[in-house]
Amino acid sequence: MSAVDIRFPAGGTVGVEALLDQVGGALQGELQVGDERVREFLAAFGRRLLRPALARRHPELGSLGFFLRPSELARTVQGLAGEHVRVPRGLVFHVPPANVDTVFVYSWALSALMGNRNIVRLSHRSGTVAETILETLHEALADADPAIAATQRVISYDRSEVVTAALSAACDLRVVWGGDGAVREIRRQALAPHARDLTFPDRSSFAVVRAAAWLCAPRAARVTVAEGFVNDTYWFDQAACSSPRTVFWVGSEGDCDAARADFTEHVARVVTVRGWGVDAAMAVEKRVSTYGLAADGLAESIEFHGNALAVVQLSAAAAAPRRWLGAGTFAHARLGALGELVALVERRDQTMTHFGFGRGELEELARGLAGRGVDRMVPVGSALSFHRVWDGVDLPAEFTRLVTVVR
Amino acid sequence: MSAGAGVFTLSEPEREAALVPELAALTARHREACPPYRRILDAIGAAPPYERLADLPWLPVRLFKTHELRSVPEDQVFRVLTSSGTTGQRPSRIHLDREAAATQTRMLAATLRAVLGERRLPMLVADTRSVVRDPTLSARGAGVLGMMNFGRDHTFVLDEQGRVDAEAVKGFLSRHGGERFLVFGFTFMVWLHLRGLGADLSQAVLIHSGGWKRLAEQAVDNAEFRRRLAAECGLTRVHNFYGMVEQIGTVFLEGPDGDGFYCPDFADVVIRDPDTWQEAPTGAPGLIEVVSTLPTSYPGHVLLTEDLGVVRGVDDGSWPGKRFEVLGRLPRAEARGCSDTMGQG
Repeated sequence: MSAVDIRFPAGGTVGVEALLDQVGGALQGELQVGDERVREFLAAFGRRLLRPALARRHPELGSLGFFLRPSELARTVQGLAGEHVRVPRGLVFHVPPANVDTVFVYSWALSALMGNRNIVRLSHRSGTVAETILETLHEALADADPAIAATQRVISYDRSEVVTAALSAACDLRVVWGGDGAVREIRRQALAPHARDLTFPDRSSFAVVRAAAWLCAPRAARVTVAEGFVNDTYWFDQAACSSPRTVFWVGSEGDCDAARADFTEHVARVVTVRGWGVDAAMAVEKRVSTYGLAADGLAESIEFHGNALAVVQLSAAAAAPRRWLGAGTFAHARLGALGELVALVERRDQTMTHFGFGRGELEELARGLAGRGVDRMVPVGSALSFHRVWDGVDLPAEFTRLVTVVR
Repeated sequence: MSAGAGVFTLSEPEREAALVPELAALTARHREACPPYRRILDAIGAAPPYERLADLPWLPVRLFKTHELRSVPEDQVFRVLTSSGTTGQRPSRIHLDREAAATQTRMLAATLRAVLGERRLPMLVADTRSVVRDPTLSARGAGVLGMMNFGRDHTFVLDEQGRVDAEAVKGFLSRHGGERFLVFGFTFMVWLHLRGLGADLSQAVLIHSGGWKRLAEQAVDNAEFRRRLAAECGLTRVHNFYGMVEQIGTVFLEGPDGDGFYCPDFADVVIRDPDTWQEAPTGAPGLIEVVSTLPTSYPGHVLLTEDLGVVRGVDDGSWPGKRFEVLGRLPRAEARGCSDTMGQG
């Protein structure tokens, strides 16, 4: 049971040893950090993702194409200049989540850009978006330097410890996305002594809004923020790790109540205009989860604005739920001051979307948190925008090693 | 079978008039006695007056899997019932005090009397005896065991290896085949094993339950099920039933003509449109809400199930009240986020 299906470049079924031989072969010049051949390939691939018909059908591919535009790739490479010689890590084994189809591309593209040989394990359960991505990769491959086909692989295999063990033993860096359970399972397979794991386990996220700033903002600005908030939360059914689940309102009780009511009205309108709906199963899920919060004494009030929007007023800010409650279910709580978050934040908190705070206040909060949680503070509307620094990790740096040269 | 048999007597207006005040009183009682229930009603702003059945606040039935909801002190709990936990789910836990336990048994008997009559009938079980002997009793086993209270001279159609025990069936029919007798089994077990017996079951009353999923895969619906049983073994008195552990003692029984499930006088159903949550009109499918006056020791008197159903008619069938059809399970909601809630693979 060591067979893998090679899905990029299309290569049929081979044993895992043969796969490792393929990507281990000698190259006409090793890939370098920021390799031109990879940059050309990624840019060509990104351009294809931005084709209007495709981006309309799968907006997440538009974001991905944008991420891969040549200027962004150049910026990523330039940011790594320094006194040391930066070199690829070697062979990187990526285990992305089964249910967000674009994650594997971000992880792989940055690693390839850093000159690594890559093996990406794609779930057999991956959806139509992953299929589209693979087709697009193949289109771009037609004009690419042979070095791409020689060094990059996307594979699928049935649950097999033999394959996972062989790939883990052979790689220099293993990248695991998608859930505490997945990380624990993968970690049972040993890495080579010099190799390391880069893990992206379960995370949760929240939003924080200064009530007075919301109430003072012109209507157009509030509409824009509401639209951004809806993008942050409904795109992946609010289940993306960076989608906020709780909204903390900072200010006096009166201001917070007024701001929350106005915010909810705006969000409800955006949801209606965009036609976001949830199916009956999700609607029931939201009842089960929110009634459960009430039963536990964590929810003071629950309001439903249709099935698409549920608003829970928490009895205390410390009751902020980290688990998924169903698409479009938002817990709200009040804070007297931004600094109160310091006592509430947990290690698993990842993204804090914000509105109404100055850079200084946010930086002060970040220092106050001192690494106990929150890796990203981004404006409302940017929760899902992938960045090369993710979960507190500088990915291009992690995908490379430094050679010290002194003379 | 005459209209008005047993507990199937109330027309819909009579039923609603009788049930609303009782259920409103139960809502108040549970609100008082069950703090988690009170907190839910407070949070959603539910408050009397409740004019119609559809006005009563409902609980999602799955809450009995995630929370302990009871309205009697722990030392008065006489029995805790648990449902079959679907894979990866905790089972429901239903807390009965003595009174509630006695009532559910009594009302279940009264309901089944409508089709079985007053006396205990000889009973043929379309299953194997081991299903009730397994120490970790399955839902199927519990169902068989529960129904065995209503029969005597219990005879199992299948032997311990799950093969048809022709000798046992022959013996049973020679003893009882000429009088009225009871046959019970899960719907697909009945379909698999009863038709091939080559026996005359024309005196039998068949009670079956368990849903149509496995039969639907073979394109067998209720009409086909009844037609084939009648044609192949003369079985014409066939009653499907719908019920759940969260409302134990309340069964919705298929009428003699197979034209839908009927509600006993102490229960009713409301079909809710899952978009508006309003009561769906006759003929429009939605989620099945089951209401019953039997749950006095836990707040299970108004429950929203995760089953889809439709009211086919009101006061227009063999028995009075609503008659409805169960259309199947609502598929569970799934997240598609980066926390891989579906596991690896």
